Amino acid sequence: MLHIKPIISSLLHSKSGPFLLFLQMMLSVAIIANASSIINQRLELMDRESGVDETKVLTFRVSSFSENTDHEAQNKRDQQMLRDLPNVINVSSTNMFPLSGGGWSTGLLDKPDPNAEGVKRTPQAAQYMGNEHFLDTLGLTLVEGRNFYPEEILHEHGYANQKVIVSKPLADEYWGEESPIGKILYHGTEYPIEVIGVVDKLQGAWVDSDFLDNSFIFNIDFGSQSAGGMYFVRANEEHIPELKQQIETAFLAEDPDRVVIEFLTVRESRDISYQNDALMVYILSIVIVLLLLVSSLGLAGMVMFNVQRRTKQIGTRRALGARKRDIINQFLVENYVICLAAGVCGGLLAVQLGKQLMQHYSLPALDLTYPLVTIAGLFIVTSIAVFLPARKAATISPAIATRSV
Amino acid sequence: MFLHYLDLAWRSIKKTPILSLLMVLAISVGIGITITTLNVYKMMAFNPAGEKSDQLLRVQLWSQGPDSWDNFPQLLTYQDVQNLRNIEPLVRQTAMHRTGGVIQTDDPSFAASMQSVRSVDRDFFKMFDVSFLHGSPWAADADVNAAYHAVISSSLNEKLFGSGNNVGKTFYFDKRPYQVVGITEDWNPQPKYYDPSNGAFNDAEQIFIPFSLLPIEKQATWGNTSGWRYEKTNNFQDRLNSERVWTMFWAEFENAEQIEDYKRQLAAYVEQQKAIGRFTDNRSPEDSVQLVNVEQWLENENVVDEDNKILVGLGFLFLSVCLVNILGLLLTKFLKRAPEVGVRRAIGASRRQIFSQYMVEVGVIGLIGGAIGLALAWGALAVLGDKFGTDAALTQLDNSMWFLTPTIAIGTALLAGLYPAWIVCRTKPSVYLKSQ
Repeated sequence: MLHIKPIISSLLHSKSGPFLLFLQMMLSVAIIANASSIINQRLELMDRESGVDETKVLTFRVSSFSENTDHEAQNKRDQQMLRDLPNVINVSSTNMFPLSGGGWSTGLLDKPDPNAEGVKRTPQAAQYMGNEHFLDTLGLTLVEGRNFYPEEILHEHGYANQKVIVSKPLADEYWGEESPIGKILYHGTEYPIEVIGVVDKLQGAWVDSDFLDNSFIFNIDFGSQSAGGMYFVRANEEHIPELKQQIETAFLAEDPDRVVIEFLTVRESRDISYQNDALMVYILSIVIVLLLLVSSLGLAGMVMFNVQRRTKQIGTRRALGARKRDIINQFLVENYVICLAAGVCGGLLAVQLGKQLMQHYSLPALDLTYPLVTIAGLFIVTSIAVFLPARKAATISPAIATRSV
Repeated sequence: MFLHYLDLAWRSIKKTPILSLLMVLAISVGIGITITTLNVYKMMAFNPAGEKSDQLLRVQLWSQGPDSWDNFPQLLTYQDVQNLRNIEPLVRQTAMHRTGGVIQTDDPSFAASMQSVRSVDRDFFKMFDVSFLHGSPWAADADVNAAYHAVISSSLNEKLFGSGNNVGKTFYFDKRPYQVVGITEDWNPQPKYYDPSNGAFNDAEQIFIPFSLLPIEKQATWGNTSGWRYEKTNNFQDRLNSERVWTMFWAEFENAEQIEDYKRQLAAYVEQQKAIGRFTDNRSPEDSVQLVNVEQWLENENVVDEDNKILVGLGFLFLSVCLVNILGLLLTKFLKRAPEVGVRRAIGASRRQIFSQYMVEVGVIGLIGGAIGLALAWGALAVLGDKFGTDAALTQLDNSMWFLTPTIAIGTALLAGLYPAWIVCRTKPSVYLKSQ
């Protein structure tokens, strides 16, 4: 069935057309393989879980401009007021929002004196401050130890009686197999900070950082400290749009000298934080689709014209007893020969391009699966692009051959 | 003759509509992708400082202790900025800090709003070429003896007071009355080169107030604060005295000598600080100072993000695939028309004429493809702006594209046409005359 030899010699006879097809496919393989590798890498990044019930947690800030307010008392009143709103499930103050792109981070030490011999620093981690409602409001899962007791909540940062809950990735990285519960850490002062719990997952604010999964939660009601407050409100998704209005109204009714801003669910923050990655995925997907479209339409166009040019040859072959299938096969095999050559060279080019990208930009190495899958895909797409005009060629009647064109 | 070729080209295009359509499609898609990525790149890579780029330098100091940070911090401690302000300026200089708060007016119906506010020294306006519609920057004295003065933008003026010259009127920022001393023309450099780290493409502040108010008003910072060691801060004064970095400093110079001279002054300053126990790292005073011009600063801040560079590269690779594609199609088409060329050659057309005619035809295809490509790019940018909330500044079609697009489109098409046109004009008349 496969008469490859005459096909190759006929390809070599008219070099430029097949060579251009080869070149086009080779470049396509290199581009598509690298583009899909980048797409996949971005999708993996975007898929990482924050540990938070993202769509159910609403975040916002309050800024007060009245003078002589007792911030601690005001913060307590505000949280109670939020809890009393219809459909609010739970509320916590905080100093930063997950996946928001801005916040606090720190590393703690295992000795009070930072210059002590053999002092060991924890990995860098997000530094959350919240009260006993923090875990429940965000929907975090405690996997070890316990939550803060209400009487443990502090209103200042940096003093005695600090407790901390850590995220599991941080615990695993720093303590390994050992349980972190009961361990003591320091923040460069004599005050010990006791680890009392581990949550399964809680990401920090910066999706591009290499410590995204590391978090500390301190037992501090942060809104007590200044004129600005930040809050998490947990509610069912359907209630969140109306809550925004209700919250703003309630705050201004309590004290009109303030502004409530930046209502965002954690989900919305996530979308904003991953916007560039989403954009990259979107553009690269379009590039791949268009590349395949342009390539296959171009290929189909060329085959179509080849068919016209070779009408006489095809007619002759048909007259000599070639079946329709043989004619279609001829075009397909021609295509496969070019595809194979282009696939091998394109695969090598893809790897080279991948190396360049890795060297100059922060991209991981190109996995060999991508060029292989791309080549396989190219075989399928070009088969379709060749098959349709070739089928038309096969209908050429043998009688044509006897006519002069 | 050109018009005649145009006419021939148009007829030829009409004769093979599918093939021509495929070529136009390939070019327009290639151009669409390339121009879209190139446009975003150009917008990001723009340096608004222009000629002044080498004269405006941002000051960086290695203020951290040993074994802490590996690079110069982007920001400075408040105490360093205060001390730098006291070094006699060579040309101009400004301390800087981003804050914000609630803005109100005497009009009770005006809804209080949160605004980002920039605190600067009066030289800022000259250094960064902000032009005034009414009034002027505050007096030099206000840089030393804090005054509640403000410079606002024309559109904020409109919002607060209605149009016109409202210099002398008062508004409230966090309940403090500020007197408007100057109203600037709307000014929004993109990227925001005076402070790209707080969002290089968000809008410039519309309120500027004297930096000297910072310690009095205990302004919050609307930007980063970093510390290399733990410092307890019980009050605002502790923050001002701390080794945390959160403020910025820019200086302007006229020539390289001034810069060298200033560097010496900075090194002397570091030396003096070392003597009182600051700048404890093992660096020499000369190596503890760094002056970075606007262009370098934009680069250090990665204002053009990596993704975009990759996309521009892939865009051009895509275009090259389109080029090869068109080349193949043209070759097919021209070879098919070889008999016609044979006849024309036989009746006296020169090779040059045949070649020119085909190049004109290819150029027309390139032009049409380019026009469609530009429309595609325009649409793509609109979609990106819409779907991804990409900053408006990046999704406007840059003026240069009106020139670049047809150049790239026609250039690509002509490049693709060269070989096929050369093949076809080499056609020997005799071959085809015989078979006819």
